[in-house]
This record gives sequence, structure tokens and C-alpha cells, in this order.
Amino acid sequence: MKDIRESILKTDGDEKISGQAKYVADIRMANMQHAITKRSTIACGEIKNISYPELPEGYFIVDHRDVPGLNVVKIIFDDMPVFTEKAITYLHEPILLVVGPNKEKVKEIVNNIQIEYIEKEATFEWKNSAVQYHFDKGLGKSIFENADKIIEYDYETGYQEQAYIEPQGFIGYLEGKDKVTLIGSIQCPYYVKNAVIQVLNATEENVRVIQPSVGGAFGGKEEFPSLMACQLACAVKKVKKPIQLIYEREEDMLVTTKRHPARIRFSAALNKEREILGFKIYCAIDAGANIGLSGVVLSRALIAGTGAYTIDNLDCSGDVFITNTVPNGAFRGFGAPQMYFAVEMFMEHIALDLGIDSLAFRRKYLAKQNDLTSTSGTFRDPIIMNEMIEKGMEISDYKKKRIEYSKEKSTKGIGMSFFFHGCGFTGSGEATHIKAKVRLKKDKDNTVYILVAAVDMGQGIRTTLRKVVAQILEIPIDNVIFDFPDTDKVPDSGPTVASRTMMIVGGLIGRAAKEMKKRWTETEFIVEKIYEQPEYIKYNDETFRGDAYPAYSWGVNIVEVDVNPVTYQPKILNTWSVYDIGKSIDDRIVLGQADGGLTQGIAYGYLEVMNHVKGVIKQKNMTDYIIPTAMDTGNMETVIYENPYAFGPYGAKGVGELTLVGGAPAVVYAIEQAINKRIHKIPATPEYILEMMNDGKNRL
Amino acid sequence: MVKQILPKNLSEVLELISKEKYRFCAGGTDMLIQNHNLKTLPIDFKDNIIYTFNLEELKGITEDEDFITIGASESLESILENKITPQILKDTILQMASPAIRHSGTIGGNIGNASPAGDLLVPLYLLNAIVQLQSLKGIRSVLLSDFITHVRRIDLRDDEIITKIIISKINFDKHQFVKVGPRLSDAISKLSFLGAVSFHEDKVIDLRFSFGAVNITVVRRPEIEAQYIYKTKEELKNSVDELLEKYSEYIRPIDDQRSNKEYRKTVALNLLRNFIEEL
Ligand SMILES: Cc1cc2nc3c(=O)[nH]c(=O)nc-3n(C[C@H](O)[C@H](O)[C@H](O)COP(=O)(O)OP(=O)(O)OC[C@H]3O[C@@H](n4cnc5c(N)ncnc54)[C@H](O)[C@@H]3O)c2cc1C
Repeated sequence: MKDIRESILKTDGDEKISGQAKYVADIRMANMQHAITKRSTIACGEIKNISYPELPEGYFIVDHRDVPGLNVVKIIFDDMPVFTEKAITYLHEPILLVVGPNKEKVKEIVNNIQIEYIEKEATFEWKNSAVQYHFDKGLGKSIFENADKIIEYDYETGYQEQAYIEPQGFIGYLEGKDKVTLIGSIQCPYYVKNAVIQVLNATEENVRVIQPSVGGAFGGKEEFPSLMACQLACAVKKVKKPIQLIYEREEDMLVTTKRHPARIRFSAALNKEREILGFKIYCAIDAGANIGLSGVVLSRALIAGTGAYTIDNLDCSGDVFITNTVPNGAFRGFGAPQMYFAVEMFMEHIALDLGIDSLAFRRKYLAKQNDLTSTSGTFRDPIIMNEMIEKGMEISDYKKKRIEYSKEKSTKGIGMSFFFHGCGFTGSGEATHIKAKVRLKKDKDNTVYILVAAVDMGQGIRTTLRKVVAQILEIPIDNVIFDFPDTDKVPDSGPTVASRTMMIVGGLIGRAAKEMKKRWTETEFIVEKIYEQPEYIKYNDETFRGDAYPAYSWGVNIVEVDVNPVTYQPKILNTWSVYDIGKSIDDRIVLGQADGGLTQGIAYGYLEVMNHVKGVIKQKNMTDYIIPTAMDTGNMETVIYENPYAFGPYGAKGVGELTLVGGAPAVVYAIEQAINKRIHKIPATPEYILEMMNDGKNRL
Repeated sequence: MVKQILPKNLSEVLELISKEKYRFCAGGTDMLIQNHNLKTLPIDFKDNIIYTFNLEELKGITEDEDFITIGASESLESILENKITPQILKDTILQMASPAIRHSGTIGGNIGNASPAGDLLVPLYLLNAIVQLQSLKGIRSVLLSDFITHVRRIDLRDDEIITKIIISKINFDKHQFVKVGPRLSDAISKLSFLGAVSFHEDKVIDLRFSFGAVNITVVRRPEIEAQYIYKTKEELKNSVDELLEKYSEYIRPIDDQRSNKEYRKTVALNLLRNFIEEL
């Protein structure tokens, strides 16, 4: 039998390339109405009065008074209203929808609604903490009492925008009298369904969510779509006709969630032998106007606080700050990209301060099998980072280049980052919170249906899950059907997030397929599997103690840059990556994740700029928010290592986020070497590099 | 509703604009964006529109002994591919937009748009381009640097249309165009620089610089350039600090969502220095 990693054509390639794939904005329904959102024009205050123009027949206003159930979007922390009643907490906060048959007319009505506000002073400083976390490992901060030397640095990261190709959108309609059906560009059909149930005060049967083709998500379609879906569901209930709510690109960029900006302080206690005794880590993130899932982002950041290293004593704490800015949310990496940048730079900066070889210094602290994690859990599986690092250095000629580029005249630099990513939900989340359920159905004609709520947003799960089933059952892949999820037809296998789909959902599907194979002679049957946490995984969410993840993927990124001494522009020459992802289910699909993830991660480190001035996002379209093109990426080489995880299908672990989280530190290491300055902030743009050249601290 | 007209020839256009106000849409790569509407709704043009992309009279790239003439509706792509086109223009076009946009976008559109970041304006200023305008009253020729009066403002009467761009044929010993964009392709310039020089027996006989996106329009200062004519290469190199100081006063960029003043100014002057030092 073929090794499953051998690539096949992506099963949805043809329909996408030929233009046949239907995205939500392509769907036309008889009698379809259009909805446009009326938004606040201030960042903080209250609505004093709204005056409406005369509404022609067939046009509707939908606002908080039309919410039959709770006026709050179910996320993780439920503090976002579906429609604000009075309070305005950020610029462009949704106030109401205008719905009607003619979009031009709807637009005109939206423009003619006059809103008077009582404006209050907005808060943009990080001073209102809504969530505080703290946990220790080993002796915690008391180890600092024994320190011979303390080194402390601050690091800062900015916004990142998901910049999916397809902006957010939904179409909603009534089925029968009471049932609301929503088709949307989403990652998590059941998040949407459950949020809508709460808002409509509906029964399970009366809300249905269907996924069409999705043009990219990157976390941006994890929780945000629930807000739109809740609004639209209320509108559908009121108007009783199909309604389309599709965001424009600018609207999407101004109002949807982004990666949390972070400010991180690291302190290291060192002994006389210049060894690390312990770290104090403090991480603050800006949630924007709502908490939403920011607490989880902070916790994932803190758990990643020691990077790929083992540090025996830790004092980790953090705050989620509320500001009058657009709410931030899920984004591929989920807290880890901020923290990896900080911890990797910190390790380098300690070595520089101590005047010792930073590579040897960092390798000395690399986590090994059976070491305790930052949350005092255990790395149970083999860690093959040393082998992976050697491989990366060999294919990149790292050692030689590192020496050559340290010469004074050199404008080039090369940098290497080490990292891991915990796969699946944090702690007992998979077992207690998600409880994934999957089904595999065999038909009379031996066709097998994969029934899961996992969404293909371009990453390839429609191909790889089918491959897993076909290979286990030893049947042609064409006999395995994986239709777009429809909550009326598939069980809740959990959201398509957290690098969990192949490892957790695929693992369950794999086990279901094995059972199906044993019973293959039966004509028509369903196998159902429900997630069970491996016995040995124990975690306490309150104390941050135990195994935060069942498995970890590992990686090494190497980036080589040339920084133009006249224009300060970094040019990416080459990148090399080595990943331990357990097992590749399809090499080309893994490479798609590897190239795309690293490109997005590197760009986070040096290219993608987004900021706000008094709550106004300055880069609000794809002209001003710059993401890399193929010309900006340099040559990319990726090596995949196999190191199977017992519960993943064929041993597979997570891939999606791993490939992003190491990009920023690798490119910044390289830029630091090229310009011989210390960098504490990303993105390291040419403007920032110029500032460093003028008054930054020398690297050496 | 605004009128949208697809004319058969230039005289029809001249008739129309002599009576009523219209705006032109050539490749539409600026116009469609500036007038974009919500998805699925038609383009939100605010004025009557005449489409000019297929007017034969606005096409063609020709040369005579002294001049090269480019039709206003010639696309960036066809200018790039034409043998007659001077290298200095090709170097610039290659760094503009993307192949798809270059296929539609035109030289007349880049001038008509008069953006401070319009890249093609940088070599056109350097080459002393002349813009030819036509109306029922006749033909008017204006220096490009006079034609562009401010940010997005041009000296075009309502009854006129840009028909041709005329540049003199000059060869430089060395020229260098540098576009400083936020990424390597398909991006609007943070700033740009073009330097060109010719020597005769080690003496400067022609020296020109233009800078894009660092002021309301392209910065070109012939009176500064003239001060260095007949200097030796060595003398020119030795006066680089003085030269930078002279230009410094005209490099007055802004802070915006794409970059900041300090960066734009420093890099513009760095590029000038680098050009001289590498001669
Ligand atoms: C993705 C993208 C990338 C871009 N990148 C760049 C870049 O790198 N550098 C750059 O400089 N520009 C860039 N642009 C802008 C644009 O492509 C150029 O300015 C192009 O040259 C405009 O030409 P057009 O024919 O499309 O103009 P149009 O949009 O048709 O017209 C532009 C203006 O010129 C006027 N006009 C057109 N023809 C005439 C005429 N004959 N007489 C009088 N007025 C006329 C129009 O009325 C309008 O005001 C980019 C645009 C896009 C969408």
C-alpha cells in the first residue's frame, strides 16, 4: 500500500480553479433581500436619539428590540451584544440592520438614518484589566532572591489582520414557519448554531447552519461570524424572507477581529555560572471593546511563555485589557506568535548581554522528553528537535553564513527560531468543553460518508480526511464522500480551530474507519465515535497546572535576509523549515500549510502593519494593509519529520498553526544580525529599522 | 443617473465635452476604485463618463528624430513592450502595479490621476514630457510639470482631453530608478527616486533628478541640476553633501498609513547620495 503522505490532487481543486465553487456571495435566492449594517461613528458614549427616514413598503429596521432571546453573542465570555441598546464601546459598533429588496435603496436609508450621541472620553490606554491570570512553576518568583544577575527586557507586537480572500458573509432564510437556516463563510458551524439558538430562544431543531465554499479564515471566521449570524437570524425572523448580509472589504477590515497587540516583559534570574534559574513573564494583550475569547488567547500565550525551552522556575502572569477599539479575536497561532517573538528574542538578548554563543545557549535549554512543561505537565512523547536543528543548519549552511554575516560590512543576516505548538484545545477543553462527536456512514452501495462539522476553508481537510478513510478501508477515494457540513446532517465534531482537525477529528474518524472495516460485510450502518481524553492527560484550568495539551508539534524556521542599507528594506532571500508534525497525511497539503503559514508568520514579523489612531484603524483596505506576494517570500524549503502521536490518524499531529508561530522571531533574528541592532518590536518595518539605526542599541 | 458613453471617435468626444461636463475613464484602474460601490451594485460614478480605452486617436507609439509620442490611452503593458520606449520608462513601468493592472492602466490615466505617488510621472518629469490636449478649439501643449498643479489637480479644461504625451529622445550614460514600496510587487510607492546623468570627457553635461511621493507632486529642480553642469565627476562626488542640502528643502513628505515623513525624507536623500557616490 502507498504511504498516505504521497500527494494526491486536492479534491476541490477543479471546482475552485474553474470558478464553479459557490461561496456565500454567489448564492442567489428567489425574493432575496439585502441587509446593510448601520454603525456608530464614535468610539465611546451613548446613543441619545435615532431619527429614521420614512421607510418604503418592504423595508425594515432590525435592532436590539428584535432580539427574541438574550441580546448577547455566545462566544466564550459572553459580553458582546448582538445589537447595542445604548452604549457605544468602539467605532463602527453595529447598531441596527436595514433590510430591503433593493440594495441601492437600503444603502440610501442607512445613510439617511441620523444618530445623535452623548460622547464620552474613550480609553485607548491599557488600564482597564478584565482578566488576570497568574501561575507558577517550581519556585516561582522566589528564585529571583537567589539570582546573581537579573536581565529584563520588554517586547511589543502589533495587530495582524487575517486578510482572507473572501470577506465575511451570510445568507439566511426561513424553512417552514419557525426554522432559521444560515449559510455562511465560517469555521465553526456549531458555534454559530449555538449562538443563534440562544439569541432566538429557539430549539435545536429550529436552527440550521450550512457551510458553503469558504475562501480563507485564519481564525477570523472562528467567533466573529456568530455576531453576524445572530443579527441576520433576528432579521430573518422579522422579515420572513431570504436575506443576504455580505461585508465589503473595508467594512470587514474595520470591524472584524484581529490578532491582539501584546506587550510582554521578560525577566531572567541567572546564577554565577550564567545559567538561567527562572523567568518572570508578564503579558498584556489588548482585547478591544469586548473580552470574547481574549482570556483564552492570553492563557495560550502564557503557556507558550518558555518557548521550546525548559525553564525550571516560572512566574507567569498577564492581563486582558479592555479599550474602546475594535474587538480582537482568534487568529492562527492564538497568542503563541506574540509570545514566541518575545521569548526567542529574549533568549538571544540574554546571550548577547552575557557575551556567550547564543545558539549553544539556546540549545542547552531545549525541552527534552520527560521535561516538565511551563504548566508542570510532562512532554511525554519523544522530542527530536536536536536532529531537526542539525538538519536545518545543514540545508541552510547556517553556521558558515552566521559567521560570514557577522562581518561589519555585511548587509545580510540569518536567523533560526525554535518552537512548538500544542495541538487541540487547551487543557481538558476537548474532553469537557468540545466533546467531539463524529460519524461514519456506510451505504448500501458501499459509499462511505464522513459526517463531521469540520470546515474546509482552503487548508485541505476535504481531501485529507477522505484520504484517511479511503486508505483505512482500502476503497477508492471517490467512494468516500465528505459534503460541506450542515448541522442538520452532521454531529458536532467541534470547531475547525486550534490545529485540532486532523489530530482530534481525523483521529476519531480513523478509529471509526477501523471499526467500519471490521464490520464491512454489514450492508448499511453508522459508526459513531466520541472524543475521550487519554487517561494520563490531566489539567486544571484554574491553576494552570498539568498537561495543557495532549500532543505537541515542533518546528525550526531559518530565514535569510538582506537589508538594503540605503532604503532599510529587508528582502527575504531564503527560508528553510523543519517540522515534526507526527505524520504527513498529504505532503503537498502540508507544504501548502508550511509555505502559507511561514509567509504569514514572517510577514507578521517585518511587513504587515496595522495600527489605530484613537480607535480608527488606519490600514483599512488591501492597498494599505500590505501582505506579501510571491515575490516577497524568497525560496522556501521544507523538511517534514515523522514522529507519530498515538492518537492521531497514522500518528498525525497539528500543522496549521505550527507553521506560522516561528516566522517572526526567525526573520527578526536575521534582521538583527543584518543591521547589528536590537529589535524589541514587530513588525520590524523599514521605518522602525531606520529609527533603530539612528538611536537603537547595538546588537554586539 | 449619470451618462456613460462609449464613443466611436475623438471628434464625437470633442463634440460631447464642448457641451457638457464629462470625466474620462481609460483603463479604469483608478476610476473604478475611486468610484467603487457596494458589491453587486453598479459603479458609483459621480459624473458623466466617456470611456476612452479604445479610441484609435489616443493610441500609438511613434518617433521622429527628436521626439517620442505616446497616445494617452496606451496601456502600461504595451508601452513596456514597445521597442521605441526609452529604457528609463520601461524600468519604471516594470515596477508598477501587477501585470493585470498594467494591462489595463494607461499613461494618460496616470497623468490624469495626478497622484503624488504616480510612478510614471517620475520619469516623465525627468524627460520634460509635454502633454498634448485637444478641444474643438484646437490643440494645446503644456509641460507636464505645469499641467499638474496640485495633488490630484490638473490644468485640464472641461472641453479638453489628453491625447498625447511627447518626450524628447535623450540617452543618459547612467540612470537609476528606485521605487521604495512596502513590498516588491503591486504596491503604492512610499517614495521613488530617479537619477540620470551624462558626461563628456569626464565633465557633467546633463544631470537630472526627480523624486516621487515626497511632495504634492514630483520634485524636479532644473535650477539645482544646472549648477553642476561642467563639473567633473570628482567635483560632483565631492559636492554630494551640498547637493543633498539643496534638495532637502524640497523633499517635504507627509505621515500617512503607508509610511512617515522621517523615513521618506531620509531614504529619498540616501538614494540621491547613493546614486552620486556610485558614479
Ligand atoms: C492594484 C493596483 C495597483 C496599482 N499600482 C500602481 C503603481 O504601482 N504605480 C502607479 O503609479 N499607479 C498604480 N496604480 C494606479 C493606476 O493603475 C495608474 O494610475 C494607471 O496608470 C491609471 O490608468 P487608467 O487608464 O486605469 O486610469 P483611469 O482610472 O481610467 O483614469 C485615471 C484618471 O485619469 C483621467 N484620464 C484618463 N484618461 C484621460 C484622458 N485621455 N484625458 C484626460 N483625463 C484622463 C480620468 O478621468 C481619471 O481622473 C495601481 C492601481 C491598482 C488598482
